[in-house]
Amino acid sequence: MAMLAFSSNAFLRPNPPGPHLRRLLLPKPLSSAAALTPPTPQADPTGGSNPDPDPTPLFLRPASHRVPAAALAAFRLRAAALVPPSAPHLRRHLRWLLADAAANDPASGSDPALLRASLDDLEALWLRHVRGRRPFQYVVGNEHWRDLVVAVREGVLIPRPETEAVVDIVKRVEGFEDGWWADLGTGSGAIAVAVARELGAAGRVFATDVSEVALEVARLNVQRYGVQDKVEIRHGSWFEPLEDVKGKLMGVISNPPYIPNVDLPGLQPEVGWHEPKLALDGGKDGLEHLLHLCEGLSSVLKPGGFFVFETNGDKQSEFLVDLISTKWSSFRNVEAVLDFADIKRFVTGYRR
Amino acid sequence: MACRLLTRSAAARLVSHLRRTPGPTQRLLAPRAALSSLLGSTDGLPHAADSTLRVPARWFSSPSTDAVAEAPVTADGLTVDSIASKGWTILPEAESDWRSHAAAVAQSIKLIKKRLKWGWILERTKQLSVVLERPDLWEDPVFAGMVSREHGELMGKIKSVNQFEQELIEHIEMLRLAREENDNELETESMGDLADMRRNAKEKELNALLSGDNDSCSCFIEVQAGAGGTESMDWAAMVMNMYRSWAQRRGYTVTVVEEMPGEVAGIKRATIKVDGEYAFGYAKAEVGVHRLVRISPFDSGKRRHTSFSAVAVIPILGDASSRYQIKDSDLRIERFRSGGPGGQHANTTESAIRIVHIPTGISATCQNERSQHMNKASAMAVLQSRLDQLEIARQAQMNAEHTQSLNEISWGNQIRSYVLHPYRMVKDLRTNYEVSDPDSVLEGDLDDFILNYLSSALDEADVSK
Ligand SMILES: C[S@@+](CC[C@H](N)C(=O)[O-])C[C@H]1O[C@@H](n2cnc3c(N)ncnc32)[C@H](O)[C@@H]1O
Repeated sequence: MAMLAFSSNAFLRPNPPGPHLRRLLLPKPLSSAAALTPPTPQADPTGGSNPDPDPTPLFLRPASHRVPAAALAAFRLRAAALVPPSAPHLRRHLRWLLADAAANDPASGSDPALLRASLDDLEALWLRHVRGRRPFQYVVGNEHWRDLVVAVREGVLIPRPETEAVVDIVKRVEGFEDGWWADLGTGSGAIAVAVARELGAAGRVFATDVSEVALEVARLNVQRYGVQDKVEIRHGSWFEPLEDVKGKLMGVISNPPYIPNVDLPGLQPEVGWHEPKLALDGGKDGLEHLLHLCEGLSSVLKPGGFFVFETNGDKQSEFLVDLISTKWSSFRNVEAVLDFADIKRFVTGYRR
Repeated sequence: MACRLLTRSAAARLVSHLRRTPGPTQRLLAPRAALSSLLGSTDGLPHAADSTLRVPARWFSSPSTDAVAEAPVTADGLTVDSIASKGWTILPEAESDWRSHAAAVAQSIKLIKKRLKWGWILERTKQLSVVLERPDLWEDPVFAGMVSREHGELMGKIKSVNQFEQELIEHIEMLRLAREENDNELETESMGDLADMRRNAKEKELNALLSGDNDSCSCFIEVQAGAGGTESMDWAAMVMNMYRSWAQRRGYTVTVVEEMPGEVAGIKRATIKVDGEYAFGYAKAEVGVHRLVRISPFDSGKRRHTSFSAVAVIPILGDASSRYQIKDSDLRIERFRSGGPGGQHANTTESAIRIVHIPTGISATCQNERSQHMNKASAMAVLQSRLDQLEIARQAQMNAEHTQSLNEISWGNQIRSYVLHPYRMVKDLRTNYEVSDPDSVLEGDLDDFILNYLSSALDEADVSK
């Protein structure tokens, strides 16, 4: 059912699938796909920002393509030949692409192989990844995040590995299981779904976003993990959709856009060219949304309630810890929490 | 029909007669014996319980619930032991000769008992029964749980052998009765039962090879290339492939946990997880150094090369109480990340994780999963098992029963030689078992090597206990 949302014809691409790998292999030397600074931050050269003709995530498409094992093997070789030595991560991407495309274990070597896309489509996907720097997660339509396979697509931020820790932070809050939580700017719904799966009978998550695309994807993820009873998806800006639960929340979670706007042009192409600005742009100093969230906290949290925000790192976190603990007297135990790279990535605290 | 019923009831009478054994033998133990000596390793077998043993303040002696039933006997005085020592000729299974069947089964039972370390099992069960009688036992529930679990497991083994012996005697009696009553149908049936027992006994012989403490566990198999660069790394990859296909053939689930590829070819080191019953029991036979002789595919001069790979096998303990307790604060978790601001700035699919246990320096890496979270969970599982292995080794005080870790394996400890040139042969240096078809072995046809080793290790062991 949820997949219907993705099959809108509006996404149909005007052009036929991109050129074949074989042709590309011949004359022109490939520029390294791993070079971090792109020539120009325009959209990718092999298909623009046109989404796939079928925006259903690859791994959720029906396995309706029978492909002779030999043809698949040949594709694998051609695709691997496009991987420059400077980009070994693409080898792993190719392996995962084929794993996601195959309905049966690719290692089983069944002939014909049963695939979720035609080889032509896979070629087009692979090219746009290797040459167009389209994020691998958009190519396969998912990101493996914690123990979840989170569906994603253009228009939604790909959940980051740093953010996995947010769920562990929430789980350390005493009695979290039976509280009401808000995940503001839920994007793909990754946090909301992961938290919901840890909740008890009385627990609930309100997942909000201003982006309709994000909410569509979040809805799909909520359904795929069967947490509809726990997650309520709401549309609107930050606290706006939460009027009716003011003062009742055990916790507020948010990973708001926090990249300082001056940094936006220099972003890695996978991010800067392809992910939604709405999910990244934190305005001046990257603090615009974070400050707004801090301001609204005490009105939605119940006494003793908890908050965790993800930030741009050391400077932002230190600034926010300082601000929250000095500007307002209504919070206690405000602290910066390190991520796995020892960057002060999160700010947490309790309402008095 | 009537005749049949009659025979059946005669059979039932007979069986009930046979089962009338003279009650459990009462064995009183010397009351002043210290528990530690009672439960100590009687023949150097490792026991997780040893380190937690305490000498009891007081204890009561009481009739032990002794497992050993009186040996079953036929009406004309045959016991399993006496059958085994009669030296009756064992004919092929197809021959309907009850003596041959009986002798074969009795021989198997003898072998099974030896493999199970029968004398030791009886002694140990007796000691455990005594401990189980202690009124204060359950004041330490963890210890009590360990004792009662071990007791239960050993009793299970004893009962199953005793039952098998009983069955043999019953079938022999049944056959005799059938002959006396000229009941051809029953005779054929009993003969068939004896033949079935013979097949069954062969299976039990195999199972008895895997009766070690952790044999039924899943395991990790680790392969490390020896000195010699690409040549050895290629060999290490071949060895790893051999185990992957071996495990798959056996129906185990195989996952790659860690893999350090060589610069040119092969692997420097890799770890796979092999999930399934008795994976450890079989795979532990492979621990040691594997040697390859061949014309090198990497040598343009086509010279003969010798390469080495070390193999270690680690059980994945199922039972939480015997596991090494890891403190979070003792761990350092490393993620392979390029520097930079991270978070929303970066797109990466690099999810490899390395966990270091600071006090021991033992570490584990996982890069097989697509999320960091899952890689961390896998790496933790590997680390846990490595530390468990260390703990087992510590408790066993380096006796022969624990399998060596990669660090402990000396490159001199070669267990098998694979020769592709100038002749073709795989030979186990421990058992001298050999085959002339290296390809099938390298494709995972290892069972004969493994079973040969396991049986030689157990069957040639000193049986004075
Ligand atoms: C960095 S993304 C985080 C997505 C998701 N929570 C995660 O961690 O992967 C920020 C999200 O905030 C949403 N957002 C931006 N402005 C918003 C606003 N004014 N109100 C609510 N959500 C907003 C964006 O659409 C985006 O989904």
